[in-house]
Amino acid sequence: MQRMCKYFISIFFFFLFVDGYSQEQKKAIEETEKDSIVYKTPYGIRVGIDISKPILARFNGDYTGFEVVGDYRVSKNFYLAAELGYEKNTSKEDYTNSTSKGNYVRLGFNYNVYENWLDMNNEIFLGYRYGFSLFDQTLNSFTPNVNTTYFPADKISAPITASNLNSHWSEFMFGIKVETFKNLFLSTHISYKVLMSTKEPENFKTLFSPGFNRIFESSTGFGFNYTISYLISFKKK
Amino acid sequence: MKKNVLFILLITVLISACEKDDFCIKNPITPNLVLRFYDTNDRETLKDVERLSIWAENKDTITNYKSINIDSVAIPLNSLATKTIYHLKMNNSDGSIANNQTASFTITYTPQEEYVSRSCGFKILFNDVTFESDNTWITEFTPEILTTIDNQNAAHVQIFH
Repeated sequence: MQRMCKYFISIFFFFLFVDGYSQEQKKAIEETEKDSIVYKTPYGIRVGIDISKPILARFNGDYTGFEVVGDYRVSKNFYLAAELGYEKNTSKEDYTNSTSKGNYVRLGFNYNVYENWLDMNNEIFLGYRYGFSLFDQTLNSFTPNVNTTYFPADKISAPITASNLNSHWSEFMFGIKVETFKNLFLSTHISYKVLMSTKEPENFKTLFSPGFNRIFESSTGFGFNYTISYLISFKKK
Repeated sequence: MKKNVLFILLITVLISACEKDDFCIKNPITPNLVLRFYDTNDRETLKDVERLSIWAENKDTITNYKSINIDSVAIPLNSLATKTIYHLKMNNSDGSIANNQTASFTITYTPQEEYVSRSCGFKILFNDVTFESDNTWITEFTPEILTTIDNQNAAHVQIFH
């Protein structure tokens, strides 16, 4: 057994050296055959829509949403990006039922960390957004939490609407973009959001903010989108 | 492309299949009324009420308080009314019905809903609370009014008997 181990270990060492050799050789070849062709990629404005939201709305009766996305290429790996949308969502909790609806905008940038092959134009990006939403929240009904069956509480169904609520947040995202046909891109991202401020309704709390999604106890949230967008190219660089 | 679709599918499943992650752990949310029973002759000392049973007007006896010896009770208040009348029965001789003594204890208040959190919902506060008793076996109690009952960390009323 011990001998076998020894044998394997020496085999590994052997491969290690071979590997080292081959690496060096490759490098030498690369240097001699350096390519002088520069592949140009398009610059322009890209607009699209989030197709995940209408799909989500179809399966979840408590939700409707629509989002328009766009970005503008500033330099090789840097894009200014924005999203604009409308969302309506009903939060059904154990003791409360409330609906938030309103508009939002997210402004920021994406940085592409993916090195493309030839003239391909795909992205793996990291992004930051500042988000702002304006919305109403209606407390549709609630049951006071009296935790006793001796004197049970009644469900109170008189809706209470708080208008002109707003929230501001920061959003960090990670995503990919793939050019599937010429100038047509499919993209997806996931994001982590940190609430900076929100105007709370009186004697209640903002449970869902459009553009932010569910606000967790720690004032954080998560989001994702799946977009299809078209690039209107201005020039090639 | 195929990977992309798979990724989206995964995320959708993750989001839609999420289980509830927050439960209300701050129970009891709506405070109960806490009564403590003291010896009327030695007012610093707790004294058990013997064979105590408690029920609200027109209701059954509270299951936890059915003929037991106890010096402290926590009883709910009716959040749908502004008044709760409790009957406290005790028997300090032999347990026969003839020797039962029943006192009534009336609590009047203004209920108010206060939001706590997503998982806990709304609690009920009881404001401007006043207590009344017909003083059969209860010789005295203190205080007679309270501005609010918003927790049950300490006794609200001390009852001497």
